[in-house]
Amino acid sequence: MAERNGAVLQRLIADGGVVAAVVLWWATARHLPDFVLPGPAAVLAAMTRFVTDPAIAVHAAVSFGRVVASVAIAMVLALAMAAAVRSAPILEDVVERRILTFLNSFPSVGWAILGVIWFKISTPTVLFIQTAIVLPFCIVNALAGFRQIDPDLDELGHSLTRSPMRRFFKLTLPLAAPFLIAGLRVAYGICWKIALVSELFGASSGLGYLLMRAETTSDAAMVFACCLIIVALYGVTDYLFLRPLAARYSVNQDQSA
Amino acid sequence: MNDARTGATATSTRPRPAGAAAVAHLFTLAALLAWWGYSRIVPDYQLPGPWPVLRRIGSFLTDSNELTQLGLSLLHVCAAMAIAFVVGCVLAALAHYIRPLRLLIEGRLTPFLNAFSGIGWLFLAILWFGLNDVTVIFAVTLILLPFTIINVGAGLQELDRDLLELGHSLTRNPIRRTLKIVVPLLTPYLFAALRTSFGVSWKVVLTAELFGGNGGVGYLLNVARQEFDTETIFAIIAFILMFVVVAEVVFFRPIQRRLDRRFARG
Repeated sequence: MAERNGAVLQRLIADGGVVAAVVLWWATARHLPDFVLPGPAAVLAAMTRFVTDPAIAVHAAVSFGRVVASVAIAMVLALAMAAAVRSAPILEDVVERRILTFLNSFPSVGWAILGVIWFKISTPTVLFIQTAIVLPFCIVNALAGFRQIDPDLDELGHSLTRSPMRRFFKLTLPLAAPFLIAGLRVAYGICWKIALVSELFGASSGLGYLLMRAETTSDAAMVFACCLIIVALYGVTDYLFLRPLAARYSVNQDQSA
Repeated sequence: MNDARTGATATSTRPRPAGAAAVAHLFTLAALLAWWGYSRIVPDYQLPGPWPVLRRIGSFLTDSNELTQLGLSLLHVCAAMAIAFVVGCVLAALAHYIRPLRLLIEGRLTPFLNAFSGIGWLFLAILWFGLNDVTVIFAVTLILLPFTIINVGAGLQELDRDLLELGHSLTRNPIRRTLKIVVPLLTPYLFAALRTSFGVSWKVVLTAELFGGNGGVGYLLNVARQEFDTETIFAIIAFILMFVVVAEVVFFRPIQRRLDRRFARG
Protein backbone atom coordinates (compact mmCIF):
# COMPACT_ATOMS: atom_id res chain seq x y z
CA MET A 1 0.00 0.00 0.00
CA ALA A 2 2.73 2.41 1.01
CA GLU A 3 4.59 1.43 -2.16
CA ARG A 4 1.53 2.30 -4.23
CA ASN A 5 1.06 5.61 -2.50
CA GLY A 6 4.69 6.41 -3.15
CA ALA A 7 4.30 5.70 -6.86
CA VAL A 8 1.17 7.86 -7.06
CA LEU A 9 2.93 10.69 -5.23
CA GLN A 10 5.88 10.44 -7.61
CA ARG A 11 3.60 10.66 -10.62
CA LEU A 12 1.74 13.57 -9.11
CA ILE A 13 4.93 15.49 -8.43
CA ALA A 14 6.39 14.64 -11.82
CA ASP A 15 3.37 15.68 -13.85
CA GLY A 16 2.64 18.58 -11.50
CA GLY A 17 6.20 19.74 -12.00
CA VAL A 18 5.77 19.75 -15.76
CA VAL A 19 2.51 21.70 -15.48
CA ALA A 20 4.12 24.13 -13.02
CA ALA A 21 7.01 24.68 -15.43
CA VAL A 22 4.62 25.49 -18.29
CA VAL A 23 2.60 27.85 -16.07
CA LEU A 24 5.78 29.55 -14.93
CA TRP A 25 6.84 29.91 -18.55
CA TRP A 26 3.46 31.41 -19.46
CA ALA A 27 3.56 33.83 -16.53
CA THR A 28 7.13 34.95 -17.30
CA ALA A 29 6.47 35.30 -21.01
CA ARG A 30 3.52 37.65 -20.40
CA HIS A 31 5.85 40.38 -19.19
CA LEU A 32 8.53 39.87 -21.78
CA PRO A 33 8.61 40.84 -25.45
CA ASP A 34 7.98 38.05 -27.93
CA PHE A 35 11.49 38.04 -29.36
CA VAL A 36 12.93 37.26 -25.92
CA LEU A 37 10.50 34.71 -24.59
CA PRO A 38 7.41 33.80 -26.57
CA GLY A 39 4.53 32.30 -24.60
CA PRO A 40 3.51 28.65 -24.79
CA ALA A 41 0.59 29.52 -27.09
CA ALA A 42 2.80 31.26 -29.65
CA VAL A 43 5.26 28.36 -29.61
CA LEU A 44 2.47 25.85 -29.98
CA ALA A 45 1.18 27.81 -32.95
CA ALA A 46 4.65 27.71 -34.51
CA MET A 47 4.83 23.99 -33.82
CA THR A 48 1.54 23.28 -35.55
CA ARG A 49 3.04 24.83 -38.66
CA PHE A 50 5.25 21.73 -38.80
CA VAL A 51 2.07 19.77 -39.41
CA THR A 52 0.04 22.19 -41.47
CA ASP A 53 2.67 23.93 -43.59
CA PRO A 54 4.33 21.50 -46.02
CA ALA A 55 7.17 23.96 -46.71
CA ILE A 56 8.16 23.72 -43.04
CA ALA A 57 7.33 20.06 -42.52
CA VAL A 58 9.73 19.18 -45.30
CA HIS A 59 12.64 20.64 -43.29
CA ALA A 60 11.92 18.28 -40.41
CA ALA A 61 11.64 15.32 -42.78
CA VAL A 62 14.91 16.21 -44.50
CA SER A 63 16.74 16.46 -41.17
CA PHE A 64 15.30 13.17 -40.03
CA GLY A 65 16.39 11.41 -43.18
CA ARG A 66 19.90 12.83 -42.90
CA VAL A 67 20.24 11.83 -39.25
CA VAL A 68 19.14 8.27 -39.92
CA ALA A 69 21.41 7.98 -42.95
CA SER A 70 24.49 9.31 -41.16
CA VAL A 71 23.98 7.12 -38.10
CA ALA A 72 23.63 4.10 -40.39
CA ILE A 73 26.79 4.99 -42.32
CA ALA A 74 28.73 5.59 -39.10
CA MET A 75 27.57 2.30 -37.61
CA VAL A 76 28.61 0.33 -40.71
CA LEU A 77 32.04 2.00 -40.70
CA ALA A 78 32.43 1.31 -36.98
CA LEU A 79 31.44 -2.33 -37.47
CA ALA A 80 33.97 -2.69 -40.26
CA MET A 81 36.73 -1.28 -38.06
CA ALA A 82 35.78 -3.41 -35.07
CA ALA A 83 35.62 -6.50 -37.27
CA ALA A 84 39.04 -5.67 -38.68
CA VAL A 85 40.45 -5.39 -35.15
CA ARG A 86 38.84 -8.68 -34.25
CA SER A 87 40.33 -10.57 -37.14
CA ALA A 88 43.70 -8.80 -36.94
CA PRO A 89 44.38 -7.82 -33.31
CA ILE A 90 47.55 -6.07 -34.37
CA LEU A 91 45.37 -3.25 -35.66
CA GLU A 92 43.99 -2.63 -32.19
CA ASP A 93 46.20 0.34 -31.46
CA VAL A 94 45.60 1.84 -34.89
CA VAL A 95 41.85 1.89 -34.35
CA GLU A 96 41.70 2.55 -30.64
CA ARG A 97 44.66 4.84 -30.06
CA ARG A 98 44.83 6.63 -33.39
CA ILE A 99 41.55 6.72 -35.29
CA LEU A 100 39.34 6.78 -32.21
CA THR A 101 41.44 9.32 -30.34
CA PHE A 102 41.59 11.52 -33.40
CA LEU A 103 37.85 11.45 -34.06
CA ASN A 104 37.03 11.76 -30.38
CA SER A 105 39.04 14.92 -29.93
CA PHE A 106 38.04 16.59 -33.18
CA PRO A 107 35.81 19.61 -32.52
CA SER A 108 32.46 19.15 -34.25
CA VAL A 109 32.41 22.63 -35.70
CA GLY A 110 35.78 21.87 -37.29
CA TRP A 111 34.18 19.14 -39.38
CA ALA A 112 31.39 21.51 -40.29
CA ILE A 113 33.74 24.22 -41.53
CA LEU A 114 36.05 21.82 -43.35
CA GLY A 115 33.10 19.95 -44.86
CA VAL A 116 31.81 23.13 -46.42
CA ILE A 117 35.26 24.16 -47.67
CA TRP A 118 35.87 20.76 -49.22
CA PHE A 119 32.49 19.80 -50.68
CA LYS A 120 30.34 22.92 -51.05
CA ILE A 121 26.84 23.18 -49.60
CA SER A 122 24.89 20.00 -50.22
CA THR A 123 23.31 16.96 -48.59
CA PRO A 124 26.42 14.76 -48.98
CA THR A 125 28.34 17.46 -47.09
CA VAL A 126 25.85 17.26 -44.24
CA LEU A 127 26.10 13.48 -44.24
CA PHE A 128 29.90 13.69 -44.15
CA ILE A 129 29.88 16.11 -41.22
CA GLN A 130 27.32 14.17 -39.21
CA THR A 131 28.98 10.83 -39.85
CA ALA A 132 32.34 12.22 -38.76
CA ILE A 133 30.81 13.56 -35.55
CA VAL A 134 28.96 10.41 -34.47
CA LEU A 135 31.55 7.89 -35.70
CA PRO A 136 33.67 7.81 -32.49
CA PHE A 137 30.62 6.96 -30.37
CA CYS A 138 29.85 4.04 -32.68
CA ILE A 139 33.46 2.83 -32.66
CA VAL A 140 33.68 2.82 -28.85
CA ASN A 141 30.60 0.64 -28.60
CA ALA A 142 31.43 -1.66 -31.50
CA LEU A 143 34.89 -2.32 -30.01
CA ALA A 144 33.46 -2.93 -26.56
CA GLY A 145 30.75 -5.17 -27.98
CA PHE A 146 33.15 -7.35 -29.95
CA ARG A 147 35.57 -7.49 -27.05
CA GLN A 148 33.16 -8.87 -24.48
CA ILE A 149 32.08 -11.80 -26.67
CA ASP A 150 32.42 -15.03 -24.72
CA PRO A 151 35.50 -16.87 -26.09
CA ASP A 152 33.83 -20.23 -25.45
CA LEU A 153 30.87 -19.31 -27.64
CA ASP A 154 33.27 -18.08 -30.27
CA GLU A 155 35.04 -21.42 -30.19
CA LEU A 156 31.74 -23.21 -30.44
CA GLY A 157 31.01 -21.16 -33.55
CA HIS A 158 34.32 -22.21 -35.03
CA SER A 159 33.48 -25.86 -34.53
CA LEU A 160 30.02 -25.46 -36.06
CA THR A 161 30.81 -23.67 -39.27
CA ARG A 162 33.80 -22.70 -41.31
CA SER A 163 32.16 -19.79 -43.07
CA PRO A 164 33.39 -16.59 -41.45
CA MET A 165 30.43 -14.63 -42.87
CA ARG A 166 28.01 -17.01 -41.26
CA ARG A 167 29.81 -16.83 -37.96
CA PHE A 168 29.81 -13.06 -38.13
CA PHE A 169 26.09 -12.73 -38.78
CA LYS A 170 24.86 -15.61 -36.63
CA LEU A 171 27.18 -15.32 -33.68
CA THR A 172 29.32 -12.20 -33.47
CA LEU A 173 26.66 -9.68 -34.37
CA PRO A 174 23.91 -10.99 -32.06
CA LEU A 175 26.36 -11.34 -29.16
CA ALA A 176 27.59 -7.79 -29.62
CA ALA A 177 24.06 -6.48 -30.18
CA PRO A 178 23.46 -4.93 -26.72
CA PHE A 179 26.54 -2.76 -27.12
CA LEU A 180 25.81 -1.93 -30.73
CA ILE A 181 22.30 -0.83 -29.88
CA ALA A 182 23.55 1.24 -26.97
CA GLY A 183 25.96 2.84 -29.42
CA LEU A 184 23.17 3.39 -31.90
CA ARG A 185 21.12 5.20 -29.28
CA VAL A 186 24.00 7.41 -28.22
CA ALA A 187 24.92 8.20 -31.80
CA TYR A 188 21.33 8.94 -32.73
CA GLY A 189 20.99 11.32 -29.78
CA ILE A 190 24.31 13.06 -30.49
CA CYS A 191 23.35 13.41 -34.12
CA TRP A 192 20.17 15.29 -33.27
CA LYS A 193 21.74 17.35 -30.54
CA ILE A 194 25.17 18.31 -31.77
CA ALA A 195 25.57 17.18 -35.34
CA LEU A 196 22.76 19.47 -36.40
CA VAL A 197 25.48 22.09 -36.54
CA SER A 198 26.20 20.65 -39.98
CA GLU A 199 22.96 22.12 -41.26
CA LEU A 200 23.83 25.57 -39.96
CA PHE A 201 26.70 25.75 -42.45
CA GLY A 202 26.33 23.00 -44.95
CA ALA A 203 22.72 23.06 -46.08
CA SER A 204 19.90 25.20 -47.30
CA SER A 205 17.27 22.87 -45.86
CA GLY A 206 16.62 20.98 -42.64
CA LEU A 207 15.88 21.95 -39.06
CA GLY A 208 19.34 23.43 -38.52
CA TYR A 209 18.79 25.76 -41.46
CA LEU A 210 15.34 26.63 -40.15
CA LEU A 211 16.80 27.41 -36.72
CA MET A 212 19.41 29.64 -38.28
CA ARG A 213 16.82 31.49 -40.33
CA ALA A 214 14.55 31.96 -37.32
CA GLU A 215 17.51 33.24 -35.34
CA THR A 216 18.47 35.87 -37.92
CA THR A 217 14.88 37.11 -38.16
CA SER A 218 14.54 37.11 -34.34
CA ASP A 219 11.61 34.73 -34.65
CA ALA A 220 11.96 33.33 -31.13
CA ALA A 221 8.74 31.32 -31.35
CA MET A 222 10.18 29.43 -34.29
CA VAL A 223 13.49 28.81 -32.47
CA PHE A 224 11.53 27.33 -29.57
CA ALA A 225 9.35 25.34 -31.92
CA CYS A 226 12.38 23.87 -33.71
CA CYS A 227 13.92 22.85 -30.38
CA LEU A 228 10.73 21.21 -29.20
CA ILE A 229 10.19 19.47 -32.53
CA ILE A 230 13.68 18.01 -32.17
CA VAL A 231 12.87 16.84 -28.64
CA ALA A 232 9.64 15.31 -29.93
CA LEU A 233 11.22 13.61 -32.95
CA TYR A 234 14.05 12.22 -30.85
CA GLY A 235 11.77 11.19 -27.99
CA VAL A 236 9.20 9.46 -30.18
CA THR A 237 11.70 7.54 -32.30
CA ASP A 238 13.74 6.56 -29.26
CA TYR A 239 10.64 5.37 -27.45
CA LEU A 240 9.12 3.54 -30.43
CA PHE A 241 12.20 1.96 -32.02
CA LEU A 242 15.43 2.18 -30.11
CA ARG A 243 14.20 1.48 -26.61
CA PRO A 244 12.26 -1.70 -27.53
CA LEU A 245 15.27 -2.79 -29.54
CA ALA A 246 17.54 -2.22 -26.55
CA ALA A 247 15.15 -4.05 -24.24
CA ARG A 248 15.04 -6.98 -26.61
CA TYR A 249 18.79 -7.42 -26.68
CA SER A 250 19.48 -6.25 -23.13
CA VAL A 251 22.23 -8.05 -21.23
CA ASN A 252 20.13 -8.04 -18.08
CA GLN A 253 17.04 -9.39 -19.77
CA ASP A 254 16.14 -11.76 -16.96
CA GLN A 255 16.49 -9.01 -14.35
CA SER A 256 14.52 -6.30 -16.03
CA ALA A 257 11.79 -8.51 -17.44
CA MET B 1 20.06 4.01 -19.56
CA ASN B 2 23.77 3.89 -20.21
CA ASP B 3 23.64 6.74 -22.71
CA ALA B 4 26.55 8.59 -21.28
CA ARG B 5 28.38 5.79 -19.60
CA THR B 6 30.10 4.17 -22.50
CA GLY B 7 33.27 6.14 -21.94
CA ALA B 8 33.77 4.56 -18.56
CA THR B 9 33.79 1.01 -19.85
CA ALA B 10 35.98 1.60 -22.86
CA THR B 11 39.35 1.18 -21.23
CA SER B 12 40.65 -2.28 -20.68
CA THR B 13 43.62 -3.62 -18.79
CA ARG B 14 44.29 -6.55 -21.08
CA PRO B 15 47.77 -6.87 -22.53
CA ARG B 16 47.96 -5.51 -26.04
CA PRO B 17 49.20 -7.69 -28.89
CA ALA B 18 52.90 -7.32 -29.57
CA GLY B 19 53.72 -5.01 -32.44
CA ALA B 20 50.43 -3.15 -32.21
CA ALA B 21 52.20 0.00 -31.05
CA ALA B 22 54.61 -0.16 -33.97
CA VAL B 23 51.75 -0.60 -36.44
CA ALA B 24 50.00 2.37 -34.86
CA HIS B 25 53.09 4.56 -35.27
CA LEU B 26 53.39 3.43 -38.88
CA PHE B 27 49.76 4.37 -39.37
CA THR B 28 50.38 7.86 -37.98
CA LEU B 29 53.32 8.28 -40.30
CA ALA B 30 51.33 7.05 -43.29
CA ALA B 31 48.48 9.42 -42.45
CA LEU B 32 50.85 12.38 -42.21
CA LEU B 33 52.48 11.39 -45.50
CA ALA B 34 49.10 11.08 -47.18
CA TRP B 35 48.16 14.52 -45.87
CA TRP B 36 51.41 15.99 -47.18
CA GLY B 37 51.06 14.28 -50.54
CA TYR B 38 47.46 15.29 -51.04
CA SER B 39 48.09 18.84 -49.92
CA ARG B 40 50.56 19.21 -52.79
CA ILE B 41 47.89 18.34 -55.33
CA VAL B 42 44.99 20.49 -54.13
CA PRO B 43 45.04 24.28 -53.65
CA ASP B 44 46.14 25.70 -50.32
CA TYR B 45 42.78 27.07 -49.30
CA GLN B 46 41.38 23.53 -49.44
CA LEU B 47 44.13 21.65 -47.68
CA PRO B 48 47.30 23.29 -46.40
CA GLY B 49 50.26 20.97 -45.85
CA PRO B 50 51.49 19.80 -42.43
CA TRP B 51 54.44 22.17 -42.39
CA PRO B 52 52.56 25.50 -42.81
CA VAL B 53 50.01 24.30 -40.27
CA LEU B 54 52.76 23.52 -37.77
CA ARG B 55 54.27 26.96 -38.36
CA ARG B 56 50.88 28.54 -37.81
CA ILE B 57 50.52 26.65 -34.50
CA GLY B 58 53.91 28.03 -33.51
CA SER B 59 52.84 31.60 -34.25
CA PHE B 60 49.56 30.87 -32.44
CA LEU B 61 51.46 30.01 -29.29
CA THR B 62 53.62 33.13 -29.38
CA ASP B 63 50.87 35.63 -30.14
CA SER B 64 49.62 37.03 -26.85
CA ASN B 65 46.19 37.96 -28.23
CA GLU B 66 45.57 34.48 -29.55
CA LEU B 67 46.81 32.94 -26.32
CA THR B 68 44.34 35.10 -24.44
CA GLN B 69 41.53 33.73 -26.59
CA LEU B 70 42.71 30.23 -25.79
CA GLY B 71 42.63 31.00 -22.10
CA LEU B 72 39.14 32.38 -22.52
CA SER B 73 38.00 29.11 -24.13
CA LEU B 74 39.60 27.16 -21.31
CA LEU B 75 37.75 29.36 -18.84
CA HIS B 76 34.45 28.71 -20.64
CA VAL B 77 35.04 24.96 -20.54
CA CYS B 78 36.04 24.91 -16.86
CA ALA B 79 33.16 27.10 -15.78
CA ALA B 80 30.61 25.05 -17.69
CA MET B 81 32.07 21.77 -16.41
CA ALA B 82 32.05 22.98 -12.82
CA ILE B 83 28.49 24.28 -12.93
CA ALA B 84 27.19 21.20 -14.75
CA PHE B 85 29.01 18.93 -12.29
CA VAL B 86 27.60 20.60 -9.18
CA VAL B 87 24.06 20.96 -10.52
CA GLY B 88 24.14 17.42 -11.95
CA CYS B 89 25.30 15.92 -8.65
CA VAL B 90 22.63 17.81 -6.72
CA LEU B 91 19.89 16.72 -9.11
CA ALA B 92 21.04 13.10 -9.12
CA ALA B 93 21.26 13.08 -5.32
CA LEU B 94 17.80 14.63 -5.00
CA ALA B 95 16.38 11.97 -7.31
CA HIS B 96 18.07 9.23 -5.33
CA TYR B 97 17.40 10.31 -1.77
CA ILE B 98 14.04 12.08 -2.03
CA ARG B 99 11.87 9.42 -3.55
CA PRO B 100 8.86 11.58 -4.47
CA LEU B 101 11.09 13.69 -6.71
CA ARG B 102 12.58 10.72 -8.54
CA LEU B 103 10.13 10.50 -11.41
CA LEU B 104 10.21 14.26 -11.93
CA ILE B 105 13.98 14.29 -12.28
CA GLU B 106 14.67 10.90 -13.84
CA GLY B 107 11.50 10.55 -15.87
CA ARG B 108 10.84 14.12 -16.97
CA LEU B 109 13.75 16.50 -16.56
CA THR B 110 16.65 14.26 -17.62
CA PRO B 111 15.01 12.88 -20.78
CA PHE B 112 14.00 16.42 -21.70
CA LEU B 113 17.52 17.77 -21.22
CA ASN B 114 18.92 14.71 -22.94
CA ALA B 115 16.74 15.20 -25.99
CA PHE B 116 17.13 18.97 -26.20
CA SER B 117 19.40 20.06 -29.01
CA GLY B 118 22.66 21.72 -28.06
CA ILE B 119 22.25 24.08 -30.99
CA GLY B 120 18.81 24.93 -29.60
CA TRP B 121 20.24 25.93 -26.22
CA LEU B 122 22.83 28.00 -27.98
CA PHE B 123 20.33 29.95 -30.04
CA LEU B 124 18.01 30.47 -27.08
CA ALA B 125 20.97 31.71 -25.06
CA ILE B 126 21.86 34.17 -27.83
CA LEU B 127 18.29 35.50 -27.74
CA TRP B 128 18.37 35.80 -23.97
CA PHE B 129 21.87 36.95 -23.16
CA GLY B 130 23.29 38.31 -26.40
CA LEU B 131 26.75 37.51 -27.71
CA ASN B 132 28.96 37.08 -24.65
CA ASP B 133 30.57 34.67 -22.21
CA VAL B 134 27.31 33.95 -20.38
CA THR B 135 25.76 32.60 -23.58
CA VAL B 136 28.68 30.27 -24.21
CA ILE B 137 28.84 28.98 -20.63
CA PHE B 138 25.07 28.57 -20.43
CA ALA B 139 24.86 26.58 -23.66
CA VAL B 140 27.78 24.30 -22.82
CA THR B 141 26.52 23.75 -19.25
CA LEU B 142 23.10 22.66 -20.44
CA ILE B 143 24.63 20.28 -22.97
CA LEU B 144 26.80 18.71 -20.24
CA LEU B 145 24.08 18.50 -17.60
CA PRO B 146 22.31 15.30 -18.75
CA PHE B 147 25.64 13.46 -19.03
CA THR B 148 26.44 14.34 -15.42
CA ILE B 149 23.00 13.45 -14.08
CA ILE B 150 23.00 10.10 -15.86
CA ASN B 151 26.53 9.18 -14.76
CA VAL B 152 26.11 10.17 -11.14
CA GLY B 153 22.63 8.66 -11.03
CA ALA B 154 24.01 5.37 -12.34
CA GLY B 155 26.69 5.48 -9.66
CA LEU B 156 24.15 6.02 -6.89
CA GLN B 157 22.08 3.19 -8.30
CA GLU B 158 25.00 0.78 -8.24
CA LEU B 159 26.18 1.59 -4.72
CA ASP B 160 27.02 -1.60 -2.89
CA ARG B 161 24.12 -2.17 -0.49
CA ASP B 162 26.18 -4.35 1.84
CA LEU B 163 28.79 -1.67 2.30
CA LEU B 164 26.10 0.92 3.03
CA GLU B 165 24.64 -1.37 5.63
CA LEU B 166 28.04 -1.89 7.13
CA GLY B 167 28.34 1.90 7.32
CA HIS B 168 25.04 2.11 9.16
CA SER B 169 26.30 -0.28 11.77
CA LEU B 170 29.58 1.58 12.17
CA THR B 171 28.43 5.16 12.57
CA ARG B 172 25.20 7.07 12.98
CA ASN B 173 26.55 10.25 11.55
CA PRO B 174 25.12 10.58 8.00
CA ILE B 175 27.72 13.17 6.93
CA ARG B 176 30.50 10.84 7.99
CA ARG B 177 28.85 7.97 6.13
CA THR B 178 28.51 10.09 3.00
CA LEU B 179 32.10 11.27 3.05
CA LYS B 180 33.67 7.97 4.02
CA ILE B 181 31.55 5.51 2.06
CA VAL B 182 29.27 7.05 -0.56
CA VAL B 183 31.71 9.52 -2.09
CA PRO B 184 34.61 7.04 -2.34
CA LEU B 185 32.29 4.45 -3.88
CA LEU B 186 31.01 7.03 -6.34
CA THR B 187 34.48 8.16 -7.40
CA PRO B 188 34.64 6.12 -10.63
CA TYR B 189 31.27 7.50 -11.72
CA LEU B 190 32.10 11.07 -10.77
CA PHE B 191 35.33 10.68 -12.68
CA ALA B 192 33.54 9.21 -15.70
CA ALA B 193 31.14 12.16 -15.58
CA LEU B 194 34.03 14.63 -15.60
CA ARG B 195 35.88 12.76 -18.32
CA THR B 196 32.85 12.64 -20.59
CA SER B 197 32.13 16.30 -19.84
CA PHE B 198 35.64 17.30 -20.76
CA GLY B 199 35.47 15.54 -24.12
CA VAL B 200 32.02 16.82 -24.99
CA SER B 201 32.67 20.37 -23.83
CA TRP B 202 35.69 20.82 -26.10
CA LYS B 203 33.63 19.52 -28.97
CA VAL B 204 30.83 21.99 -28.44
CA VAL B 205 32.52 25.02 -26.91
CA LEU B 206 33.92 26.03 -30.28
CA THR B 207 30.45 25.90 -31.80
CA ALA B 208 29.09 27.98 -28.96
CA GLU B 209 31.85 30.56 -29.29
CA LEU B 210 31.55 30.63 -33.05
CA PHE B 211 27.90 31.60 -32.98
CA GLY B 212 27.36 33.11 -29.58
CA GLY B 213 30.67 34.38 -28.29
CA ASN B 214 32.67 37.53 -28.57
CA GLY B 215 35.91 35.76 -27.71
CA GLY B 216 37.60 32.41 -27.47
CA VAL B 217 39.08 30.05 -30.00
CA GLY B 218 35.70 29.55 -31.67
CA TYR B 219 35.63 33.26 -32.39
CA LEU B 220 39.06 33.05 -34.03
CA LEU B 221 37.76 30.11 -36.03
CA ASN B 222 34.85 32.19 -37.27
CA VAL B 223 37.15 35.01 -38.41
CA ALA B 224 39.40 32.49 -40.18
CA ARG B 225 36.39 30.87 -41.82
CA GLN B 226 35.15 34.15 -43.24
CA GLU B 227 38.58 34.91 -44.65
CA PHE B 228 39.02 31.39 -46.05
CA ASP B 229 42.17 31.19 -43.94
CA THR B 230 42.31 27.40 -43.98
CA GLU B 231 45.79 27.37 -42.46
CA THR B 232 44.47 28.98 -39.28
CA ILE B 233 41.43 26.69 -39.24
CA PHE B 234 43.72 23.66 -39.44
CA ALA B 235 46.06 25.09 -36.85
CA ILE B 236 43.21 25.66 -34.40
CA ILE B 237 41.75 22.20 -34.96
CA ALA B 238 45.16 20.55 -34.67
CA PHE B 239 45.87 22.50 -31.53
CA ILE B 240 42.58 21.51 -29.90
CA LEU B 241 43.22 17.90 -30.93
CA MET B 242 46.62 17.92 -29.28
CA PHE B 243 45.32 19.67 -26.20
CA VAL B 244 42.53 17.14 -25.68
CA VAL B 245 44.81 14.18 -26.39
CA VAL B 246 47.50 15.44 -24.02
CA ALA B 247 44.94 16.07 -21.27
CA GLU B 248 43.60 12.57 -21.87
CA VAL B 249 47.03 10.92 -21.80
CA VAL B 250 48.70 12.78 -18.94
CA PHE B 251 45.64 13.39 -16.79
CA PHE B 252 42.55 11.26 -17.38
CA ARG B 253 44.05 7.96 -18.45
CA PRO B 254 46.45 7.46 -15.52
CA ILE B 255 43.70 8.35 -13.06
CA GLN B 256 41.32 5.98 -14.82
CA ARG B 257 43.89 3.22 -14.59
CA ARG B 258 44.32 3.78 -10.88
CA LEU B 259 40.58 3.82 -10.37
CA ASP B 260 40.16 0.65 -12.42
CA ARG B 261 42.70 -1.09 -10.24
CA ARG B 262 41.20 0.15 -7.00
CA PHE B 263 37.60 -0.50 -7.87
CA ALA B 264 37.98 -3.71 -9.84
CA ARG B 265 35.36 -6.15 -8.69
CA GLY B 266 36.06 -9.85 -8.49
